[in-house]
Amino acid sequence: MIKKLRPFGYLLPSFLVILSVTLLPLLYAIFISFINLTKNVHKLDNPKLWDYVGFENFAKVLSDSSFWQAVGRTMYFTVTSVGLEFALGMAFALILNEKFAGRGFVRGFMLIPWALPTIVNAVLWKWLYDPDHGTITVLLATLGITDGHFNILGSSFSAMNAIIIADVWKNTAFVTLILLAAMQSLPAEAYEAGKIDGASAFRRFFSITLPLLSPAILVALIMRTMEAFKVFDIIYIMTGGGPAGGTQVLSFLTYQTSMMFGKFSYGSSLAFVMSIFILIFAFIYIKILYKKAE
Amino acid sequence: MKKSLLGIMSLVLIPSLLAGCSGGKSANPADDGGVQTIRILSSDDFAGFREKAVEEFNAKNPDIKVVLDHVAYDQLHDKELASFNASGEAAYDIVDVDEIWTSEYANAGFILPVTDRYTDEMKQGILPASLQIASLGEEIYGVPMFNDVVFFYYNEELLKKAGFDHPPVTWDEFTSMSQALQEKGITPGSASAWGWSANEGLVAYFAEFLGSFGGKFMDETGKPVFNDEKGVQALTFMADSMKNGVIDKASINYNDRQVLDAFKNGKTAFVAGWSFYWGELNGSDSKVKGKVKVGMVPAAEGAPHTAATGSMYLAITPQSEHEDAAWKFIEYLGSKEVQKQQSLDAGSLPIWKDLYSDEDLNKNFAALKDMEKQLEQVISRPSLDAYNEFSKNMQIALQSVLTGQKDAKTALDELVATTEELQANGN
Repeated sequence: MIKKLRPFGYLLPSFLVILSVTLLPLLYAIFISFINLTKNVHKLDNPKLWDYVGFENFAKVLSDSSFWQAVGRTMYFTVTSVGLEFALGMAFALILNEKFAGRGFVRGFMLIPWALPTIVNAVLWKWLYDPDHGTITVLLATLGITDGHFNILGSSFSAMNAIIIADVWKNTAFVTLILLAAMQSLPAEAYEAGKIDGASAFRRFFSITLPLLSPAILVALIMRTMEAFKVFDIIYIMTGGGPAGGTQVLSFLTYQTSMMFGKFSYGSSLAFVMSIFILIFAFIYIKILYKKAE
Repeated sequence: MKKSLLGIMSLVLIPSLLAGCSGGKSANPADDGGVQTIRILSSDDFAGFREKAVEEFNAKNPDIKVVLDHVAYDQLHDKELASFNASGEAAYDIVDVDEIWTSEYANAGFILPVTDRYTDEMKQGILPASLQIASLGEEIYGVPMFNDVVFFYYNEELLKKAGFDHPPVTWDEFTSMSQALQEKGITPGSASAWGWSANEGLVAYFAEFLGSFGGKFMDETGKPVFNDEKGVQALTFMADSMKNGVIDKASINYNDRQVLDAFKNGKTAFVAGWSFYWGELNGSDSKVKGKVKVGMVPAAEGAPHTAATGSMYLAITPQSEHEDAAWKFIEYLGSKEVQKQQSLDAGSLPIWKDLYSDEDLNKNFAALKDMEKQLEQVISRPSLDAYNEFSKNMQIALQSVLTGQKDAKTALDELVATTEELQANGN
């Protein structure tokens, strides 16, 4: 009997941790998205005052134009940044997988952007984009690409893309790391066989490397997509959702709704709709990539 | 062997976890030995002075221990909103409240009325305008800590170099002076930078322009009217000034704290900012120490020289278990002696009427007379339950004009519509 229970005993501590920091808050968030809880703090004390509204909050989310605008911006951010990170990450991984002098040094060095806290990254890029003294601003003006100092974070479109560049700079290393690790475990025989059969380098990449890397690609893409879809801190620091709301992404809208306006229920509903989007992403990835692997 | 080790570890871990969960009350060392701990959440702006005052207060009152936490103003509201639902160490006895939050906080019951605690001396001696910012209906919710508006500071030395012997009186003059300062190379770039990023300061700055172009936010019945001709003129002036470089284009990236740095280093000749700027500008690390004066906010022809108000007060939360001790501290910070010291040290404007004629203060606080003059012409941001939502909408609308995506009329018309909607939804 004790022998049977023992494994559960070992699991208990971590279960308690997960229960208190993940499960309970999650259940609480689900609960309040079905009642109408605003700033009034005393409401939760008395179940009689719980104002059940069913799916009303969710209906409101789906008919809210600022929600769909935020979805559009978040999609743009996610697709562009993850796309770039994947393309660059793959290229870097391929390069770093070749033997050359100083490879170990470069491999280590490459990780530095990823090791930076996002806040540091955001402040750093904000300075690079500074309209008066920013290195990038001055460089663009000196090269004649922009007419005088162009305020990169001063318009919605350029601000969004500037943030994407900052995000790509930081997170490409993560994709590289995962792909590189997977590449090192690829069987050398397959490549030898390919070479003997006369396959070109491109052919070897598309017919051997890519299919064999599928699981690693899946992991990298899912993790990056989820992270990018939840992007918050870099935007909070660099633009605060501006200018003119042009960088107001979903998580920022959720933060604003709950933490600034005190609409806790509506904010929870927003967060859940957002999670559903992420689940859909994950589902699509798994479908596509596992099919390929088969 | 290994298994039993694991077993011991889990046995040790579980109780410590449980203790961690239920820690809230018993772990609170506050009441040990009869010492009452009072926790305050304050804005950074006068934190330097407040830290000193807390030390003095703690020394004088051995039975009370005041702990001061402070955060940047832009994070203050959100942190407070979160703390109102918290308990234990995350809750506060006293919070720093901006005048624009009174309606929201008081109606939700986040702060306690202190009307009964007010002495007659306080009721009669404190400026009515100051009491007003902490009041809602019949009740007073705290003690104002200073009288604040967005003042118009100018660098006298730079203006003299350009041949001007007075600060700009009208906005047209502001434009011509700014152009002259830049053309003569006296300022390396634009003559002023403003904090027009997506933050609360942007709304305060708009209020300043709105008032000094003769407009207002709401009419007597509470209907929003800032989209009239005056409002459109004000916003168009802001956008045009940024477009033609009279005002630094980077203004759209700064908040109302960051613009101080350029001015403090002598890079700009004008800056519009709160009263705590004065202390900073005359601090030992300031390059413009002694060269700065406070002028009236420029105005359009025939309009008042209005500055936007932004005073703050300290209020007690219902979470506090030591309301009397909390009040004692608030009363201490609001007392004449401490208020006077605060004016001398940090350049704030006192809340007591008679301090304005205090001899000592007049001698040692050079800007007092100029600042007092500005206090007569002010404009306040509207008081709404859903103020923060209104403010965010306004920041987006204003920025869409400043970045050239919309014209002022369209943006303000849309904003009036969403504001009326906010008001109609019972806030």
